[in-house]
Amino acid sequence: MVSQSELIKEARENGMELLPLDKDTYELFFGPQHMATENFSIILKMDGHRVVKAIANPGFLHRGFEKLAELRPWYTNIALLLRICVPEPDVPEAIYSMAVDELMGWEVPERAHWIRTTVLEMARVSAYLFWIMGLSFKLGVYTAGQWAAAYRERLMALFEELTGARVYHIYTIPGGVRRDIPGDKWLRQLKDTVEYIKSKLPDFDHLVFENYITFKRMEGIGVMDKKFALAEGVTGPNLRATGVPYDVRRMDPYLLYPELDFEVPVLKEGDALARALIRRYELEQDLYILEQLLEMGPPSGPYKVQDPRLKNLPRFKVPAGDAFAHVESTKGDFGAYVVSDGGNKPYRVQIRGPSIAHGIRVLEQLLVGARIADVPVILMSLDNCPPDIDR
Amino acid sequence: MANGQEEKGEVKEMTGAKWEREQALVQKILEKAPYAEGRVRRERRIEFKVPADRIRDFLMTLKENNFELMLQITVVDWLKEGEYELVYQMWSITHRTHAMVKTRIPRELDKARMPTVKDIYPVAETYERDAHDFYGVYFEGNEKMEMPWILDDAEQGLFPHRKDFDMLAYVKKKYKILDRFDENKDNYVI
Repeated sequence: MVSQSELIKEARENGMELLPLDKDTYELFFGPQHMATENFSIILKMDGHRVVKAIANPGFLHRGFEKLAELRPWYTNIALLLRICVPEPDVPEAIYSMAVDELMGWEVPERAHWIRTTVLEMARVSAYLFWIMGLSFKLGVYTAGQWAAAYRERLMALFEELTGARVYHIYTIPGGVRRDIPGDKWLRQLKDTVEYIKSKLPDFDHLVFENYITFKRMEGIGVMDKKFALAEGVTGPNLRATGVPYDVRRMDPYLLYPELDFEVPVLKEGDALARALIRRYELEQDLYILEQLLEMGPPSGPYKVQDPRLKNLPRFKVPAGDAFAHVESTKGDFGAYVVSDGGNKPYRVQIRGPSIAHGIRVLEQLLVGARIADVPVILMSLDNCPPDIDR
Repeated sequence: MANGQEEKGEVKEMTGAKWEREQALVQKILEKAPYAEGRVRRERRIEFKVPADRIRDFLMTLKENNFELMLQITVVDWLKEGEYELVYQMWSITHRTHAMVKTRIPRELDKARMPTVKDIYPVAETYERDAHDFYGVYFEGNEKMEMPWILDDAEQGLFPHRKDFDMLAYVKKKYKILDRFDENKDNYVI
């Protein structure tokens, strides 16, 4: 048996630094190659199978989008910024476009409003299905995860027909959307898909959300209260699971949301189970919103603004000023702050990802005292999305 | 163009009465913080300009006035003015209003110092680390300032989001792909 001091000495000779620990504690590098963390790493200090201390270690996905956006023309940035949120790339597109619309003083046509709202809701549904897939894999209920992936695939096919791309759509642009709806057939297909996914929700309930294993594994872990969540800037389903009915679609209505009828589900427990159930209820609400939108039908008219300045896009200029726009994503309050100095490129673009609030400090505090097997479950219940921390 | 400006002016006058709730909120906050300047941008958007040394007092006032969430701290590098603009993005669930709190500090690295607000809004600790990593703003009182954040150890002290950061030189040095670049051409978009 080699002693600890010898190990430290050997490591130092090889250019590494091993920290001396107490007799029974050890350091565990959780991620970035771990399946649960998704390009994110947590340094855990363990005592047996309990976490004593957790340090979030982001940066594996940093691609410098905010800096790169300052070097590219206004419209080119759409193809760049949407990569900030991988599960629902329509959200960064929408917030950037809304901020530019505000700077330009454009009244976006009603048809574009309808299409943008539909795309955002479709993105929410596909992101929640993606999340169900992740959660069930972490709980060990693999069947439900494969179902969710298959149902998401239907939405991907619809996205492909609408935008030409499956994951990164590059569709919502300042002033409207890039292309019109392909036709009534697409609307019928979307309606069928919504009905189909809705009919499959009870299956998910049986297998995941009403499952004894889920309750046993998620109830009472990672608890946060209202005051803590607000002080830590937590938004979205994680905040609503603590009893605060904050939903950007209600509080700061944008697009067609003032005309739509939907509930904001709120639970009071604030544990991992409550956060999971909130997402389950919201998936149902999103499908209900899509039904309403389809019933309403797309209004006639142009799908983007008609402006002579749009003829030469590389030289397209935005008046000097700044604007903040935010939408409700499945992770929380997703915001963009855009500054223009009157040139053909943005002066500054700042994307506020919701995970920067609940993925660093909140995670570090919730993990203390958790068992090693609960770490992926807490991560998944927070729906931590590393790309919007790193940007 | 002239017509457009006239129309905009009319809209402002017409909607001036509509934003009573926001006006009242700005008045209420300015009464408690007379050192600040405030205005209503539009419905549910207000803005304040605060001197850098009063930022803690002002954020305390905002917290007392039910601004529960801090959404982000944005740094904007105004190279020509030689200043950093710090924008604290606040959201109030009670008033359903977004407030931007703007303050300006010099952009020289040894002078770009701010007091931390992590004891008022604990989440600010993360945002301050982010601002320090990319812009070099030092927040006094934040213990995690020196802790590694997103950038690697080798990239510490470069502050790549500053406007005068030479990206091309950095890429050449870092990735050693000199032959891909034409030395005579200087305006590459990386």
